[in-house]
Amino acid sequence: MSREEQFARQICRVLDRGTEELDHGIAERLRAARERALQHQHVATLSPAIVGAGGTALLGGDDEKHPLRTALAILALLLGVSLSYYWNGFSQASENEAIDSALLADDLPPNAYLDKGFQAWLEKDSPAGQ
Amino acid sequence: MASRAELSNFLAEVERRAYKQALFAVRDEDTALDIVQDSMMRLSEKYADKPVEELPLLFQRILQNAIRDFYRRSRTRMERFTSLSALEGDADDPLDPLEVIEIDEDVNPFATPHTALLQAETLSLVEAALQTLPPRQREAFLLRYWEGLDIAETAAAMGCTEGSVKTHCSRATHTLAAALESKGIRP
Repeated sequence: MSREEQFARQICRVLDRGTEELDHGIAERLRAARERALQHQHVATLSPAIVGAGGTALLGGDDEKHPLRTALAILALLLGVSLSYYWNGFSQASENEAIDSALLADDLPPNAYLDKGFQAWLEKDSPAGQ
Repeated sequence: MASRAELSNFLAEVERRAYKQALFAVRDEDTALDIVQDSMMRLSEKYADKPVEELPLLFQRILQNAIRDFYRRSRTRMERFTSLSALEGDADDPLDPLEVIEIDEDVNPFATPHTALLQAETLSLVEAALQTLPPRQREAFLLRYWEGLDIAETAAAMGCTEGSVKTHCSRATHTLAAALESKGIRP
């Protein structure tokens, strides 16, 4: 160790003593600041779990101490995706059903819509065509 | 990633030194506390996912940036104490205090037979001398020797080259030695 470094180490030992003898009020305020900072870490580690439940998978997250919570979040995510899939399916089916019912209940047979002559007649017979 | 307990232990270990570092730089207790609190908060919020061994350097980067931000915001230059360069002796043949300071390897020079009052005075003089250093020299000295970062880590925390760190540290050490020598402190 160089002479310069030895001197620096000695200065640092004096400084260490200064931190040990820190005013009690300051030490308390530092402790409170630390607690506040740690609470923010708690928020930061909880928020991915909340997001995970909402639609983003929480896999290998930082909550290894709570595997049950992680499993529940994943389960909720899968349930949400499944419900969304079936809901969309039912909604589409219901819409198709309404169209089919309207076509079948109409006096005009559905095949008429495929007939080119009928289309031509509609255009010719419509007020715009006259 | 660092667990809550690991982060708590780390912050508990560094908070007092961090406060002192900030205090040397800004010379105001409340501002120094604010800087340390903001730095702790930022570390907790942004870097909670980092491994615990990365925390010291990350925290020092945050802390030093916060101190620099304070300088930028306040736009006030730190008043320098008496020009310590004047204490170095004749301009043509500057005296190197480290050459004359005698260090006893086996005894803690600050602990022997000095009284508690003398120790307090020594501490006060050392802290005052540190405050007189140019900010970059003080930053390099404290990071390198007090925080125990190596030269590369100090350079990373300061955002400068390793050569600059060496220069800053050397100048800081010699200036401190001169300042203490002038006060009759022979470490």
